[in-house]
Amino acid sequence: MSHFLDRLMFFKRNVETFSDGHGVVTNEPRDWEDAYRQRWAHDRVVRSTHGTNCTGSCSWKIYVKGGIVTWETQQTDYPRTRPDMPNHEPRGCSRGASYSWYLYSANRLKYPMVRGRLLRMWREAKAKAGDPVAAWASIVEDPAKAKSYRSVRGLGGFVRANWAEAEEIVAAANVYTAKTFGPDRIIGFSPIPAMSMVSYAAGTRYLSLIGGVAMSFYDWYCDLPPSSPQTWGEQTDVPESADWYNSTFLIIWGSNVPQTRTPDAHFYTEVRYKGTKSVVITPDYSEASKFADLWLSPKQGTDAALAMAMGHVILKEFHVAGRSDYFQDYCRRFTDMPFLVRLIEKDGRYVPDRFVRASDFADNRGETNNPDWKPLVIDDATGWAVVPTGSVGFRWGEQGKWNLEMRNAATGVEVHPKLTLVDAHDDTLAVAFPYFGNRTHPYFAGTTHPDVLMRTVPVKRLALKDGETPVATVFDLLAANYGVDRGLGGEAARSYDDDVPYTPAWQERITGVKRQHVIATAREFATNADKTRGKSMIILGAAINHWYHGDMIYRAIINMLALCGCVGQSGGGWAHYVGQEKLRPQTGWTPLAFALDWHRPPRQMNSTSFFYAHTDQWRYESLGIKEILSPLADKSIEGSLIDFNVRAERMGWLPSAPQFDINPLKVAGDAAAAGKEPAAYVVEALKSGRLKLACEDPDNPRNFPRNLFVWRSNLLGSSGKGHEYFLKHLLGTQHGVQGKDLGAEGGVKPQEVAWHDPAPEGKLDLLVTIDFRMSTTCLYSDIVLPTATWYEKHDLNTSDMHPFIHPLSAAVDPVWESRSDWNIFKGIARRFSELCPGHLGVEKDLVLTPLMHDAPAELGQPFGPRDWRKGECEPVPGKTMPAIAVVERDYPNTYKKFTALGPLMVKVGNGGKGIAWNTEAEVKHLAELNGTVAEPGPSQGCPRIETDIDAAEIILTLAPETNGHVAVKAWAALGKATGREHTHLARAREDEQLRFRDLQAQPRKIISSPTWSGIESEKVSYTAGYTNVHEFIPWRTLTGRQQLYQDHAWMLAFGEGLCLYKPPVDTKTIEPMMNRRSNGEPEIALNFITPHQKWGIHSTYTDNLIMLTMSRGGPIVWLSEKDAAKIGVEDNDWIEAFNVNGALVARAVVSQRVKEGMVLMYHAQEKIVNVPGSEITGARGGIHNSVTRTCPKPTHMIGGYAQQSWGFNYHGTIGTNRDEFVIVRKMAKVDWLEGPAAAAAAE
Amino acid sequence: MRPALKVMALLLAYPDEKVRRMLPEAANALRRSNALRPPMRAGIEAFIGDLLTVDPLEAEARYVDLFDRMRSLSLHLFEHVHGDSRARGQAMVDLGALYRRHGLEIAANELPDYLPLFLEFLALIPEDEAREHLVDSAEILAAIHGRLAKRQSPYAGLFAALLALAGRQTGAVDAIENDDDSPEAIDRAWEEAPVSFGPEGAPNEGGSCAKAAAMLSRMHATKDMVP
Repeated sequence: MSHFLDRLMFFKRNVETFSDGHGVVTNEPRDWEDAYRQRWAHDRVVRSTHGTNCTGSCSWKIYVKGGIVTWETQQTDYPRTRPDMPNHEPRGCSRGASYSWYLYSANRLKYPMVRGRLLRMWREAKAKAGDPVAAWASIVEDPAKAKSYRSVRGLGGFVRANWAEAEEIVAAANVYTAKTFGPDRIIGFSPIPAMSMVSYAAGTRYLSLIGGVAMSFYDWYCDLPPSSPQTWGEQTDVPESADWYNSTFLIIWGSNVPQTRTPDAHFYTEVRYKGTKSVVITPDYSEASKFADLWLSPKQGTDAALAMAMGHVILKEFHVAGRSDYFQDYCRRFTDMPFLVRLIEKDGRYVPDRFVRASDFADNRGETNNPDWKPLVIDDATGWAVVPTGSVGFRWGEQGKWNLEMRNAATGVEVHPKLTLVDAHDDTLAVAFPYFGNRTHPYFAGTTHPDVLMRTVPVKRLALKDGETPVATVFDLLAANYGVDRGLGGEAARSYDDDVPYTPAWQERITGVKRQHVIATAREFATNADKTRGKSMIILGAAINHWYHGDMIYRAIINMLALCGCVGQSGGGWAHYVGQEKLRPQTGWTPLAFALDWHRPPRQMNSTSFFYAHTDQWRYESLGIKEILSPLADKSIEGSLIDFNVRAERMGWLPSAPQFDINPLKVAGDAAAAGKEPAAYVVEALKSGRLKLACEDPDNPRNFPRNLFVWRSNLLGSSGKGHEYFLKHLLGTQHGVQGKDLGAEGGVKPQEVAWHDPAPEGKLDLLVTIDFRMSTTCLYSDIVLPTATWYEKHDLNTSDMHPFIHPLSAAVDPVWESRSDWNIFKGIARRFSELCPGHLGVEKDLVLTPLMHDAPAELGQPFGPRDWRKGECEPVPGKTMPAIAVVERDYPNTYKKFTALGPLMVKVGNGGKGIAWNTEAEVKHLAELNGTVAEPGPSQGCPRIETDIDAAEIILTLAPETNGHVAVKAWAALGKATGREHTHLARAREDEQLRFRDLQAQPRKIISSPTWSGIESEKVSYTAGYTNVHEFIPWRTLTGRQQLYQDHAWMLAFGEGLCLYKPPVDTKTIEPMMNRRSNGEPEIALNFITPHQKWGIHSTYTDNLIMLTMSRGGPIVWLSEKDAAKIGVEDNDWIEAFNVNGALVARAVVSQRVKEGMVLMYHAQEKIVNVPGSEITGARGGIHNSVTRTCPKPTHMIGGYAQQSWGFNYHGTIGTNRDEFVIVRKMAKVDWLEGPAAAAAAE
Repeated sequence: MRPALKVMALLLAYPDEKVRRMLPEAANALRRSNALRPPMRAGIEAFIGDLLTVDPLEAEARYVDLFDRMRSLSLHLFEHVHGDSRARGQAMVDLGALYRRHGLEIAANELPDYLPLFLEFLALIPEDEAREHLVDSAEILAAIHGRLAKRQSPYAGLFAALLALAGRQTGAVDAIENDDDSPEAIDRAWEEAPVSFGPEGAPNEGGSCAKAAAMLSRMHATKDMVP
């Protein structure tokens, strides 16, 4: 019976053995497991990314537990690509992965901080004056007080302040500055909006509302390749990384993909498994070199010679030999090669001049609209010179003919233009081309060819208005310049072995690369492109972009791509990955960022020219204009570099900041007092000299920039070329400048700029930096405000490397006292508004704007530069000088405007890149989404922008990339100009509208938009130029085609009409220091190269402890074994690198990787980690920019000329730095300077 | 001991006006407590006296230059244990839980491992337990003490007092801080054991296991100093 009771029918015992008694199930408590569960338990997971300046835009999961971020992992839920294509994920790198602990790191800024000396004076002054603005005035107007805090910038002495006090000082300084000197003396620098676009917009929105100046970064960083605007009329547009996978021949040129584009590099790895061949071209044995089938190692900075030689092979074997119908067809339709160029006689020789225009003919060829801007081609069928559709003249003032259908604009009949006149010429002429490869440089070998090369060119003679004129096609000029033999006699290369510029043999002496490698690479590159219709790609990067003559390197490469029909084809083209950071929803963002919803136009400035002038680097200029002019240039061209910049500002080519030598808030009043319209008054006053432009006298205290905001940036620790000049002149503190200025040296002073002795030191009244870590810039600031990290704020992030838009999300609230950038600027705007009464009311601000690209003003100056100051023409605003606008600023209502979307979006609409559309529906939608302002005032009834998410919704709703309705409208607007139907590109996604929370759920693919030249599609990867080639939308250039010939008078004067080889310039910074300040160790001069590193750049900073541990824990400079041996340096020795600009100290990394003759110092290793004192300066060793000085190039100043017109971050002078040399030697004594600073800074 | 801990919490906080106003009261509390021996107590009183007389902004700047600027002097305890590593978040979560178990919530805008906050917590719990926690964090306090003493900072005295409360001799613990930063010492610290291949290293001979064991024991030796 009991047996029965023990037998189980429905149960089994849970304590038994299994696996033949090897396992036992027991009934012990399992509480111990909880320890593991809790370790990995979390309250929530939030999606965010790392936004220093990384194009990765990688999705990360941030885990939060008990209100604390505990760890992060890579997110892997990107939308799939498509069959036959690898997915994007997993994305991420060691730098991003080491970020999360930054939140709680000792490096974190925790409280608002103010320089002690300043705060003491402020509290005293405020107690005395009562009024904050008067208190500020009493400090900065007292020279002794002003000097007392400026001279200790960078020397410690901060104290904590509360937000109210910090905001009040900033607001009082801004009110004082706007009232006393003008709002254009309030400057803001923040780079790369794409990385956190709301945070960027917070600062520029405030500045734009008060009339302050937003500064460019892309040109200043020298990441902008001016060759891109020159060739395509586009800042830069590139293939997404997934398109590498579609390439069948990949050249990696001066780019280090695995190291600096880590999350994308897998596409490069994968495509090699598919069989794609890869040639890597870098002077050093870089990480990318390891991927190469063939590694070429040219001498650094000579890449143009290498690319020109490859171009020579392609032209000779494929074009002149007529081997590729595809190439010919492509070049005929999509490049300027068939366009006609006038040849003019100069000093007894023919030289190429400008494009022939319709207006050169007596009858304007029937063109009544913009005949000055319509170049011509020869129609193959009739032999006539005809005006084809699509040039820039068709873009403005008429509609329907701005397209690449290649029709005769007059008749509408299709035209087949002649690429070459070699079989249909009236004559052949010996034409002169400049040659720079013979210029002497102490460290770069040149050749002995003459200054001017004579080449035979087939020409046609046209009966133009001013007589019969020989003309040639761009193609024939290009082939002649490359030295390719056309069978027309004269001097040309008969063989690749001829020592004639630009043959493979010729380049050997310059680059050190064997000719057979050049020939083989060029041949395979072109053969592949011919067979695949353009799937040859060149990934190129900063190593070849940052040179003074980087234009030539880039254009030589662009020529290869254009000649082989690669641009605009998936798997092919120009893949420039240097700080390009694409802000995809751009047109939704610009109204928010520049307050275009309230005021137009905003003030924007090109940073290179600004810093060159205001940090007084121009006072030390050593590069003479004769060193860079073409041997064929007019002898009358003279002046120093800043003279060219001032002329450019006067003619409306480049912007100015500050603008006038008086407060722009006063000009309109002066005009009214004189009984004149503001514009007429300004013209007259400028002409008479009563009113001057500030650029003519940058060292006059009236024209100093007074307040500078730096946010999302490390201007002084990372991107300030000429760092020591910043310290000396802009900040007025301890510096390491070793050289003397032109005054002390007895050099030739500029003509256009007033010279003051002594040079000003300490121009800035107030430097405010907003950051979440104590960067080098923070150390030098007067006020430091702690901001939220990327896990503590809501924002948007996009990249050009993949087509998704990604959020930054607040996983936790900002720790300590930090606040998001949006809230910081909102707070400043509020305090500013409160302080205005009694100082600033409703004011009329006179704003100057240069002749902008993508606007009718780009047709300002069709022929030759004319300077009204010199009486060469009349000053006509918007035509021969900057445009003039009066903007009414309601200063006390700044805060209300900041927090609401203003009425201009309905009244004027929205747009970008020359396209405009109505946006009423979107504003109405935003009013419903964000709510409207109820309080009375100018913003009553407007959509609210209170929070960072509100701001994000503004961007997402207004942008075609994230709102399908807008995309369709935008394509329709473009269709009016082209006369073609483009809306099919967005129709399929018309009803899609992305919201902020959608992005937090999953990164979303953007919608095709005419802002960009590629499309988002399920069939092709994004690539630049796609819609130009497949939708026949013109490039935004003079000819409307990819322009290989640049015909502006200054381009010709500097010898850059066509691409050629120019050696690096001599910066002359070595000779005055070499062996003159001996410490007993041998010295060597080496080329100073500053690439990006793997332990700090892009997604984290160099003070990250984990990354420091993985490298050497402090500043390092890489040396070749040979150079190290020459000066007795061993690995890990402390060395000093110096020249007249300053000095830096670092440990030596001695490596076979580095080429003899150069040193590598990774970018942005800051002063704040393990930097001892310098033997040269006696102060703490500098940063990589301590030995640089920026040097602008006149061709980048050109404006009012189609694609060569100014645009913010689009075109302008660039901060080059690769031509620099340093003296390197071992340090005799390493002094850590650990004693107290000479004067306690808080006193 | 508890009043002394409370005083230390105050003295290690940012010396703003609020803190300065409480200084006389703190001095009184210290005088009434006998947790510290008289010479040490006199030192703390002198520190308070100095803080009361020195220019306030100078005192604030001195604090910022020491504790807000340098990793090595961070007043966040886990900075010295976990640095920027992943373990730090969990450690803070655990410490926060400890406070909650004692019925306390953090009201300041601070992290759980902020030393003044931690000291206030110790001043609120039974002395035995407080001493135990203090002893656990002695290594860190000693390290900071050594660095401050090297700079001849008056703040060094506060850490000496904390170590005394933990029952530690300052002289002895200071030796823990190895200041030898000669290249040879750095090389020694970073040197990796050479790997040799051959019969003695073959896995089936226990060679590689021995290597792994040696590696593990090296790792364990340097791991986890828990406060």
